[in-house]
Amino acid sequence: MASIVRPSLLRQACSAAPTARMLSTRASINASQRIAQPSFVRSAVPTPMKAAAFHASAKRAILPPGPQHVEGTANDPVPVPPAEPTHGSYHWTFERILAAGLIPLTVAPFAAGTQHPVLDATLCASLLIHSHIGFDSMVIDYIPKKRFPKSRALFTWGLRAGTVVVAIGLYEFETNDVGLTEAIKRVWTA
Amino acid sequence: MAALRSSTRLLASRSLFRTTVPVRSFASVNPIESVKEATSASRPPVNESKTSTVQEPSASPDARIKTFHVYRWNPDEPTSKPRMESYTLDLNKTGPMMLDALIRIKNEVDPTLTFRRSCREGICGSCAMNIDGVNTLACLCRIPTDTKQESRIYPLPHTYVVKDLVPDLTLFYKQYKSIKPYLQRSTPAPDGREYRMSREDRKKLDGLYECILCACCSTSCPSYWWNSEEYLGPAILLQSYRWIADARDEQTEQRKDALNNSMSLYRCHTILNCTRTCPKGLNPGLAIAEIKKSLSFS
Repeated sequence: MASIVRPSLLRQACSAAPTARMLSTRASINASQRIAQPSFVRSAVPTPMKAAAFHASAKRAILPPGPQHVEGTANDPVPVPPAEPTHGSYHWTFERILAAGLIPLTVAPFAAGTQHPVLDATLCASLLIHSHIGFDSMVIDYIPKKRFPKSRALFTWGLRAGTVVVAIGLYEFETNDVGLTEAIKRVWTA
Repeated sequence: MAALRSSTRLLASRSLFRTTVPVRSFASVNPIESVKEATSASRPPVNESKTSTVQEPSASPDARIKTFHVYRWNPDEPTSKPRMESYTLDLNKTGPMMLDALIRIKNEVDPTLTFRRSCREGICGSCAMNIDGVNTLACLCRIPTDTKQESRIYPLPHTYVVKDLVPDLTLFYKQYKSIKPYLQRSTPAPDGREYRMSREDRKKLDGLYECILCACCSTSCPSYWWNSEEYLGPAILLQSYRWIADARDEQTEQRKDALNNSMSLYRCHTILNCTRTCPKGLNPGLAIAEIKKSLSFS
């Protein structure tokens, strides 16, 4: 969950610490004086603040956490997105009907013993759309649009390109070769 | 004049100090003799051989010592990392629930341990935490009596920690506010007195109104871990369904439209961690399925 209390605020406070030192009433120490200074003289920046600037878990070089923020104050409700049935209920209903339809489509050629090219093409197409929806759901889940908009676009379009390539390949396989059901029948030796 | 007075006072205090120095160097005096001087001869103290002896407290042989590992993090020390603190308690002297153990640790062992608790009977939902890997209410979770098994207590997973076992639930409450959790109605009641509902309509709310918003289910949902900014999570969706199912509410369609997008509702992939973890025995997964069904068939 995104929080109002953030470690980055602490980091800001730490980076502001040297400015506070400059504004202090003490006379500023130049480099030559600093060498002559005995080691027990304390710096104006308190040690915890210095250490916080080097806090081990504040920054990660590989896969840093995405920007997290809460919109509005703690008393404002989260903004409600506009109704989009094409991405909501219609999408979900279509996905479920497709998933349920895949079961008879998978069983039919083997049960009936017929390999009609139309049946085969329907199986290929619905399988392709089914897996596209599944992978798209993974992209939506794992790459939040708010945090990583560029990566999200890259993966979405990469998936679409992949689906198109697979579609062309399946079309070639269906028209110029034996077709999906026959290929599985030949490979299946168990 | 004032300066003169202060200097004389200083001198006086110095002379006082000098006199006190020899008085305080009494190291060679025998303490037994001083006791004799202090007590009168008519009332000598009872000899120690005739009085009872207070032993140092020792663990009873039938003690059931159990170890509790508790997540600790203090915001006042931002440089120190979170750590697991171990506490041992005798189960014979502790109440049956995890909350009893935590309260006993705070009272008797470590007063700096921080956690939320209020009703101690599973009504308020304050003491939600991750105990032995399961999100639950500490007040409804029995301590496993097997003393060899060590218990581990963490705050709710994937939440920002305020301190020790206290999670930051700001976003959770903001999301709850966004579903408008109150009766929305513009037409007056037929009899002009109160909004009534049939027994059948009231039965639809059973299993929904009992939710205490402890956030156990939402924070156990992997989908909510990934997309908590946009996905509402099981607890909020169950509450949303509680108002969609309410026969008296007149904004049902608006409530449904608010959920009819890619993120708010349909990030639920029926993982059903919510139903498994709910300490009140409710079924948020079923409520979400009902919302999906009503959106598809309307």
